[in-house]
Amino acid sequence: MKNKKPKFAFFDFTDCEGCQLQIVNLNTVLVELLEHIEIVNFREATSERRNDYDVAVVEGSVSTPHDIERLVKIRRQAKTIVALGACATIGGVNAVKNLNPPGIAQHRVYGDKGKNFETLPVKPIDCFIKVDYYIQGCPVHLNEVAEVFKCILAGKKYDMPNYPVCMECKMNENVCLYQKGQDCLGPVTRAGCGSWCINNNNICYSCRGLVDNPAVDAQRDILDKYGLKLDEMLAKFSLYSACGGEKYDQEIKKR
Amino acid sequence: MERYVKISKKDFYKWVDSLKKHGKVYAPKRKENTHVFRPIKDSSELDLNYISTILPPKKYYFPQKESLLKFSIKPFETAKAIQKFEEFVLFGVHTCDLAGIQCMDVVFREDPLDPNYINRKDRMTTVGIECLKPCDKHASCVSMGNHVPRGGYDIMLTEIKGSYIIHLNSQKGEDILQGHSYIKKCTQADRNLLDSLRKNKERVFKEEFIGQLTEVYTVFSKLSESGVWDDVGKRCVGCGNCTTVCPTCYCFDVKDELDLNLNDGLRYRWWNSCQMDDFARVAGGEDFRPGRVSRQRHRYYRKFKYPIDKFNRYFCTGCGRCSRTCMAKINLTETVNDLIKEHRNVSIGI
Repeated sequence: MKNKKPKFAFFDFTDCEGCQLQIVNLNTVLVELLEHIEIVNFREATSERRNDYDVAVVEGSVSTPHDIERLVKIRRQAKTIVALGACATIGGVNAVKNLNPPGIAQHRVYGDKGKNFETLPVKPIDCFIKVDYYIQGCPVHLNEVAEVFKCILAGKKYDMPNYPVCMECKMNENVCLYQKGQDCLGPVTRAGCGSWCINNNNICYSCRGLVDNPAVDAQRDILDKYGLKLDEMLAKFSLYSACGGEKYDQEIKKR
Repeated sequence: MERYVKISKKDFYKWVDSLKKHGKVYAPKRKENTHVFRPIKDSSELDLNYISTILPPKKYYFPQKESLLKFSIKPFETAKAIQKFEEFVLFGVHTCDLAGIQCMDVVFREDPLDPNYINRKDRMTTVGIECLKPCDKHASCVSMGNHVPRGGYDIMLTEIKGSYIIHLNSQKGEDILQGHSYIKKCTQADRNLLDSLRKNKERVFKEEFIGQLTEVYTVFSKLSESGVWDDVGKRCVGCGNCTTVCPTCYCFDVKDELDLNLNDGLRYRWWNSCQMDDFARVAGGEDFRPGRVSRQRHRYYRKFKYPIDKFNRYFCTGCGRCSRTCMAKINLTETVNDLIKEHRNVSIGI
């Protein structure tokens, strides 16, 4: 029976490894999951390093040519690829590098030796390989991780929410942050986190990326209504979405 | 018991505290700069001086997420998800929200009956409270006829001169009033006061729409194509706030959630809305209502046209929540009035 369990491996690229930590934080849920899966490679949690995996859970964005090589190799081995967390799904925080001219980051980090470290603009992993399941968020939300893993095991598609955080936030009956003079990215951000940050007195930073079809014109009106500044909002937006933000940025500025 | 009784404000809070023997009490409570319906431990948490709560009380008879059935795959079995529904008192409900309850009743009691709704609703005792002054510029309760009590409650409270006049509307209402010596009969003088209060309200509360409801209905019948809809749709950000906070929006989606043993699971429903991008998308990818213009128009038609044809009832209560909560300043009264104006102009050939 044991050898019929699908073999899972976890890999990290450009990221903080916090989403892998969330997997460990699954706690008893992880123990229950282990009834159905075998973990063969998970640097942060086990010492085993096998490469006969069926499902590869990939955390982090792509930022070097070596990353691309490694990622393509993982795709070749895995039957199923899961993008774990904001860096893997939308580029995440480290994509702020893209906002500066090329070379700046290398120089700041490595000084004169910067040119020895080849680097690329940060991109989410689906720019290079086909992704089968996405788990959004920074960090990923435990309930959603469990839900996606169950879908993988049941051979089901995971219906990623395609409605904004406002929907969940209203259901939680939070007082709207715009009414308190704060610009929150909830109206254009993909839900699924249960308005996690707003429930805890923070704004939404759009760590889950945009809904498929954000209303950029309308978002502009909202800022006008509440007397908020476009630049400030775009700055918040670029925290996580500097990769995907370009198009949004252009659309919102063109009027 | 008499149809009208009264309670002095001094005894009122004592009576509110007595209600917990009839079940959990849900009442308006302050939350930051606004209000929400919440369970209250005692009357000190109650705040009846409120405009409207973020969510309407529908969350108590049609919860945001509600278990429907438990199932297992092998062996294939299903069972009720909720064994026992609790008695509860919904306290301090404005007349607009009472209209919302009546709309939900029409929908969920239609064949096939919705057992979860009915189980909750049958265990609910509703205490209404009458508004004495208009709340804010967002409400349209006068035009919708809901600024005065029009049923849908077990008892209705109207504050007059240091007392609450109570209108008794049902046996459940009688049950929560009985056995309190401080609840007194109403005198003729009290009834006269109530009559003059209502007359005075007719002066203070002004119609929000520029036309009567009959005209509104006609306008909606004729103006499904209009620049008004283009404008509303263009401004809409698609956040779904308007439908989430609406006391008569009852759409839901049904989902199955597997347990970690991958054999047992739970089927639940949760609020869903015509404002969501995927709401009208079907297998094959076809979308019957693409774009925010048609989705916003649809929301309005579900208030001012379709339910009138189907149930002979307007599904806007005039509570004003959709306009109050809209991120993009889409205002229901403005939309309706713009449509009326356009229709009048078309009729006279401008």
